Amino acid sequence: MKNKFFYSHLIETTDISLKLTEINLSDDEKTHLLSLMEANIHSTVIDTVLSELSKEDKKIFLQNLVLNDHEKIWQHLSGRIGKLEDKIRKATENLKEDLIKDLLEAKELSEKNNSKVDL
Amino acid sequence: MPTKRKNLHYEFLAKKWTDRHRNLQGKIFDKHGESFKWLADNSKQFVVGSLAGIMLLTSPVLDKVPQFVSSTSAQIKTIDKKVFLIYDLRKILPNEVRALNSDEEKNVSEILTRDYGFNIKAELEGKRLNTTYGIIGQEQHLARFPGDNIFSHFDNPSEADKYWSYGMAPGLGAWRYFADSSGSSTQEDIDREKYYIAVQTFLAPGFDSNPKEYADFFKYRKMLVVNPQNGNAVVADIADAGPSPWTGKQLGGSPEVMSYLERFDGAQKGAVLYFFIDDPNDTIPLGPVNL
Repeated sequence: MKNKFFYSHLIETTDISLKLTEINLSDDEKTHLLSLMEANIHSTVIDTVLSELSKEDKKIFLQNLVLNDHEKIWQHLSGRIGKLEDKIRKATENLKEDLIKDLLEAKELSEKNNSKVDL
Repeated sequence: MPTKRKNLHYEFLAKKWTDRHRNLQGKIFDKHGESFKWLADNSKQFVVGSLAGIMLLTSPVLDKVPQFVSSTSAQIKTIDKKVFLIYDLRKILPNEVRALNSDEEKNVSEILTRDYGFNIKAELEGKRLNTTYGIIGQEQHLARFPGDNIFSHFDNPSEADKYWSYGMAPGLGAWRYFADSSGSSTQEDIDREKYYIAVQTFLAPGFDSNPKEYADFFKYRKMLVVNPQNGNAVVADIADAGPSPWTGKQLGGSPEVMSYLERFDGAQKGAVLYFFIDDPNDTIPLGPVNL
């Protein structure tokens, strides 16, 4: 099956997903938080890529992006951005660290407030 | 968005991650907004799944995350330019609701003219209102002709269901009835009541020196009313004067206008932009407008 996004193969989110499953959340809440996580990752990747491109290349990239044509996207980006895969990985790893910090903070908050749920 | 039980940690994370996402979107817009604008202006058709992905980037005010992850539809849509409008307005409008200065008014009218294609002006024929940015309150239905009442007021049951509860105003509009009788009432009269706003004509600069001239100018004058938080807009007409300054509100909207703008009264009240539409040949219809 085709990956959802051109960068999906570079990003591992199992650690966050697992942490979320440890928290007592309804299915709706879990789905919403996972969607927010994906949205944050998506925006981070897009910002990382756009920040490396010229004005004209940004346009080409966005066109390819809305068509979700992974092959075209990588064809266009390769040669224009050095070590792009590393840059995407690094940016998203930083984000993931922040998201995990948020998860821990949520846990602390919950404990402080004597929440009935198990974290 | 989940609506049933909400855990503390869920609420905390949802807020934190939503805020983080908004900040990211704002940053992207600041750095690359021109490229997105170009895309919206030059690309007309995208599949929904991909479009939704782009919308994630282009909507700094999204409250919900679109279900782009599972979207498989091949339906064709155009990019919603509202997000650009919202973003552009956000950069100009002050944090507090107050009268805009001339530069702000100029910038806003240029944006509205660009996006809606109407000739939008803060001042028309040398006349202007006390403000172009104010808090809007809820008005009631106005009697369109003698004998018009809540039972005869609506065109169909669905409209009645939706707007019946707002009731009829005890008095008439600023220019009394819209038509002399039910029989002589035209579609224009019906629309003028349906999409009316009440503005503080009496506070307009110069009003006191020539009330008759000003009243004639304001009578059913078309205005574009825009909710800057969601980009919803209505071509409305001035059909009443008010509200009183002590209310803290600057204008009022008919039940239909408020509904289209998604504005509410009371604790949830919010601001709108309202600018004149220069329409000398009367070609622009009243009612909701889309980008």
